[in-house]
Amino acid sequence: MSSSNENKGFLGSFLAAQLTPGRIKLWRGIFFAVLALAALLNLVIKNHHPHFGYDKYPLFWPVFGLAAGLILVLVVKKIIQPLIKKPEDYYGDI
Amino acid sequence: MATSDFFHPSAAFLMMAVILPFLPGNRRWKWLLLLPPIAAIYAVFTNQPGDHLSLGWLGQTLKLGHVDALSTVFAQVFAVMSLAGLIYSLHVNDKGQHVAALLYVAGGFGCVLAGDYLSLFAFWELMSLGSTFLVMLNRTRESVLASFRYFLYHTLGGLILLAGILLRYRLANSFDFGPIPADGAQLADWLILTGFCVNAAVVPLHAWLPDAYPRGTVTGSVFMCAFTTKTAVYVLARAFAGWEILAAAGTVMAVYGVIYASMENNARRILSYHIVSQVGYMVAGIGVGTAMTINGASAHAYAHILYKGLLFMGAGAVLFSTGTAKLDELGGLAARLPWVMVLYMVAALSISGMPLFNGFVSKTMTIAGAAEAHRTWVALGLELAAVGTFISVGLKLPYFAFWGGKPTDYQRALKPIPANMYCGMAILAVLCVAQGLCPEILYRYLPRPEAVSEFQPWTVWNVLQAVMLLGFSGLAFYFMRGVIAPHKALNLDFDLFYRLIGRSVLFFVCRPLAFFDGLWTNVWNTVGLRLLKAFGLGTSVFDKKAIDGVVDGSAKSVSFIGHLGALVQNGRLQEYLGLTVILALLIMAFFWYGL
Repeated sequence: MSSSNENKGFLGSFLAAQLTPGRIKLWRGIFFAVLALAALLNLVIKNHHPHFGYDKYPLFWPVFGLAAGLILVLVVKKIIQPLIKKPEDYYGDI
Repeated sequence: MATSDFFHPSAAFLMMAVILPFLPGNRRWKWLLLLPPIAAIYAVFTNQPGDHLSLGWLGQTLKLGHVDALSTVFAQVFAVMSLAGLIYSLHVNDKGQHVAALLYVAGGFGCVLAGDYLSLFAFWELMSLGSTFLVMLNRTRESVLASFRYFLYHTLGGLILLAGILLRYRLANSFDFGPIPADGAQLADWLILTGFCVNAAVVPLHAWLPDAYPRGTVTGSVFMCAFTTKTAVYVLARAFAGWEILAAAGTVMAVYGVIYASMENNARRILSYHIVSQVGYMVAGIGVGTAMTINGASAHAYAHILYKGLLFMGAGAVLFSTGTAKLDELGGLAARLPWVMVLYMVAALSISGMPLFNGFVSKTMTIAGAAEAHRTWVALGLELAAVGTFISVGLKLPYFAFWGGKPTDYQRALKPIPANMYCGMAILAVLCVAQGLCPEILYRYLPRPEAVSEFQPWTVWNVLQAVMLLGFSGLAFYFMRGVIAPHKALNLDFDLFYRLIGRSVLFFVCRPLAFFDGLWTNVWNTVGLRLLKAFGLGTSVFDKKAIDGVVDGSAKSVSFIGHLGALVQNGRLQEYLGLTVILALLIMAFFWYGL
């Protein structure tokens, strides 16, 4: 049985220390800042070789990533999985 | 038969597989396991292009050592992966697992270097046998059942391939294994393509993969995730480049795989479905068939073997340490398995195509190649799959395995992870980062060197595009982390139909057979046995009077052989399979060295 004072090494101790609400807030802030910076840069740095048409507009890829991600998760978990979900031992081979 | 400067990597693995069972049991033999991969690495860097090891057999020429740019790039990554995989499995005491892995890897090298369909088929089947044992030797009921399903399915795929090969021989009068033009394709070509597609896990022939790989041994699945599908990618690239149907099939695979990976709960099954998705990129690249996409498919196969091996190693380490790979039972482990988490994340960011990691330099090449060949839907489908990749393998799996919004789990007893497992992971992680930082390490080996300069991964726009695409799909995950939380469930897939087909075959074939068998037994009991008894009486009289004493010895040896035969026929299918491997190896050795 382990305890909270087992020797975790520097990396383990560092990771354990990131679970306080303050640190989680900090990491979230860094994440949002990176996203904002990337989107701002996209207003300056343009795609000179658009392949799909709409990707010549700035902010196409942020919108694509966010929308595709949201739609994918919602469709998969709310529509597809309820249709094909069975108990874990449905085939009786576990 | 052998050219002096050529060494076939399979030979080292086969030899090791043969002698390993006879080495004394003090575990020092484990260091010898590293010799075959080192020999293989040496071989792939020194073997010269050309046809080596051509030998005649039944009027045919078997070309066992076909070396060119395409086969070299696959053989090279196979050699590197076999070294990392064997280091990762050094702690395993079960010699059977090592023998299975060695045979399996030998089969992989054999396929990649085969210059004709006959030797390709032989090594193809060797891979199928070896991998069956890598699943079976996990020694749970679940694994043994899965291994039989796997073997049945691959035997069927192999038979389809064999039918194609033989039909093709009738048309072309040759077993030469080379490009097949898409125009005027015959039934034989479609059969061969189907046989290849079984191993490439092309939807809907893919369901064997997520059925078997999560049930293999911790170390066995690391090997399997690297070799079977990539061997199939290689043979597709050699024979079926430019077949438009593969571009569509690959795009479907890429999206289909991430849909299931987003649903699943078992970490190794998520990764298995994700192989389908990643192989989809390669199949699509082969289908588009330009020099750039063939390069992209090869680069992606190379990069994929490294990071997918690392992903399976990471998930395997979690399974080894905690005893489960089910995400709903995990969480709060980041501080307790920190290096597993970091090494896993290197692979996760690689597979997602994050700059600095090798997926960035391989995936983007395939997508850009497809877009430049004006396959807009292929390119867009692959971009969509990239979003799903990052969400399922890059974020969902590590989030729920290592964090899950839970405090550090100090209650769980963890089995210490042996140093060799970390070592195997570290080798692959270093390679993933090295190829990402310096694409030249990877690009210099690509099969179409003339097209390499058409694509530059490290441009400001490519980096920004990747950061935006992945960053904002990460934001989608952040909003959806409650919705995507995994739960215990079985998600129906095409194996439902495989099982239905299997059951109906049993019903329509076995029932009538059993009926006739019963009938025949009755007839035999009433008529045949009596006749036999009468005959026996006659011969015994003859024996006593005429040849008693002369051939007593032969009777004894017949009885001995009969007894041995009865021992071998014990009804245990796994032992039949093992005997088949031994027999096949003896025959191969006979032809290899005897001719």
